[in-house]
Amino acid sequence: MKARINSQLIVLALSFTFSLIVARADETCSSPYLARIDGQEEFVYVWTLGVEGLGDGADKLVTVDVRPGSRNYGKVISSTSVDGRNEAHHGGFTDDRRQLWLAGLDSSRLFIFDVHTDPAKPRYVKTIDNFAEATGGAIGPHGAYALPGRVLIPCLSNAKDHGGRTALVEYSNDGNYIATHWMPTKDAAQGAANANLADGYGYDARVLPRKNALLTSSFTGWNNYMMEFGKLTADPEAMKHFGGTMVIWDFHTRQPKKIFEVPGVPLEIRWAWGDKHNYAFTATALSSKLWLVYLDNRGEWQAKDVAPISDVKGGVLPVDISLSADDKTLFIDSFGDGKCRVFDVSDPQKPKQIYEKQIGRQVNMVSESWDGKRVYFTSSLLEHWDKKGDENEQFLRGYSWDGKELKPQFDLDFTALKLGRPHHMVFGSTKIGPNRTVASN
Amino acid sequence: MGERPWCRGRSEGGSRAPRAMPSIVSFIFIWSAAAITAGADTGLPREKDYDYDPPVPGSYNLPVVKAAPDGAILDSNGTSLNLRDLTHGRITVLSFIYTRCAAPKACPYATSVMSQLHLLSVEDKTLAKNMRIVSMSFDPDYDTPQHLAAYAESMREEKSGCEWDFATAKSHSELDSILSAYGQAVDKRPDPADPQGPLYHILRVFLIDREGRIRNIYSSGTLDLRLVLADVKTLLLEDTTKVEIRK
Repeated sequence: MKARINSQLIVLALSFTFSLIVARADETCSSPYLARIDGQEEFVYVWTLGVEGLGDGADKLVTVDVRPGSRNYGKVISSTSVDGRNEAHHGGFTDDRRQLWLAGLDSSRLFIFDVHTDPAKPRYVKTIDNFAEATGGAIGPHGAYALPGRVLIPCLSNAKDHGGRTALVEYSNDGNYIATHWMPTKDAAQGAANANLADGYGYDARVLPRKNALLTSSFTGWNNYMMEFGKLTADPEAMKHFGGTMVIWDFHTRQPKKIFEVPGVPLEIRWAWGDKHNYAFTATALSSKLWLVYLDNRGEWQAKDVAPISDVKGGVLPVDISLSADDKTLFIDSFGDGKCRVFDVSDPQKPKQIYEKQIGRQVNMVSESWDGKRVYFTSSLLEHWDKKGDENEQFLRGYSWDGKELKPQFDLDFTALKLGRPHHMVFGSTKIGPNRTVASN
Repeated sequence: MGERPWCRGRSEGGSRAPRAMPSIVSFIFIWSAAAITAGADTGLPREKDYDYDPPVPGSYNLPVVKAAPDGAILDSNGTSLNLRDLTHGRITVLSFIYTRCAAPKACPYATSVMSQLHLLSVEDKTLAKNMRIVSMSFDPDYDTPQHLAAYAESMREEKSGCEWDFATAKSHSELDSILSAYGQAVDKRPDPADPQGPLYHILRVFLIDREGRIRNIYSSGTLDLRLVLADVKTLLLEDTTKVEIRK
């Protein structure tokens, strides 16, 4: 019987190779479980922080038309405000791409939009506003990461002391709370190796399905991310409370397996897409380094520093990163100097910087199209960490990328438009019309 | 390979062969070829897309997602039932499918995993007694009870083993209600003659405990037979009375 099933599985795997090749999501930074857009993105959804005295002052979901040839190309075509200012941060779709969940780091509220009925004009559906209570004390939801039938919400803080101890939280696609998984600490390592390193901090969480591997990174708690940046950096005690670890988990069981020391605040995680590429990149914000988490020849997960990000003394505060679909090119935004640096990561153990471009006086997020031809940038990091005065540029800028150079395509000034501080970007499309999902995914 | 009853039924009716028939026939052909070339493996293998060791049953928790929604359905005998009749009492693996689907990593794949699960239950009395498989069609116009009965006969390789029910919604309004409640996205493709079948859908398979609570949701990225089996055995090992229902 077992032999019969074994052989069935082997042949099934071979016969499904093609379908797996086409089953990936369109944006390079998105969850592999997410239904894909066929072809080019048509809209960029921008989760935007409200600014007191600017427009209605509220956080809002802004939709920008990026359809080539459209008379509205590079223009805002929709904007829907939510209740108040919540420290808008990241968001993400449900796996069927019907809903967009947007998180507020300060209020711990989650705003759910319907992006299926009319992708050009997302419709507000509901708010989850009892997050801390429902999750048993997790606060500071960082974003939403699509899993089958549910979303994974990595958090940054906790309701007890507003410090960095935090958790991963799961909700079903229809908004039912499912579970809270606290990050490992020295006292509660939950069986993970290197327990002495565990700091309990969290930030990003991403899955490599083929290896049943969940990887998490670490930032800081509410006390720090809501503090004025100048005050924070002048406070030696506060500066002690930043994450310096990553954790590899058994994804299916949600059990932490090994803790890595990654000093200097590892933020965004990008798994490689290649079928045999068992590695992920992250950039450390406070130490300006590029790190690789990879499976070694013995089948053990390891982490190592593989390249400096700039030679600027004191660092450049690398923030968002974007890995191309072919795993060859990594875009790294640095908030400190407003530059995007591009690395050739064909050899992930030996990345080499090949290009850099001044994007603005400050820059945070970078989103690359699946075909690698378009790259979008936004400027805001956190309300209290953004630069002041003239340095406080707030924009969405679209560029083309030909493998050698970023060329400007459009520029939206979110302050002049009275919108606010643009933060996270995700892509939308009508190309699959009402057929928002794919059979092959 | 013998003639499949559901194919025979369509021929007798004088209509053209079902659109999905070539893909299903190819699928069964590949399957049969695999059986011929079967090696002497004794355990379920790692696959390229599921390249990891499965967990030990009972070593982890499967939190409750929500209560499994109900709805009016027809089984493959044409009998009216409530879906809850098929999601309570046993550990249920519920797969939403349509038989015309030809997207290889969608319904054909899900049904192959259900078939393998069923085969495992033939030799495992505990699974045979405690597990139920349900294949629920969201294409009631095509997947009539009669058609599902023939399809079921072609899919079940063994008469023994656990219960494997095939069903569809009693009406389109009931179908919409069930699909919405389960979060099963289904849309018509722009081209009804699309070679992958006339409907778009996300692959959804649900693990439901004896008390009718959803405990896991699989898509093609996680529908690994070894994981499903480990999850079923995990539910077998737990004391279900201690799990609080969340609605």
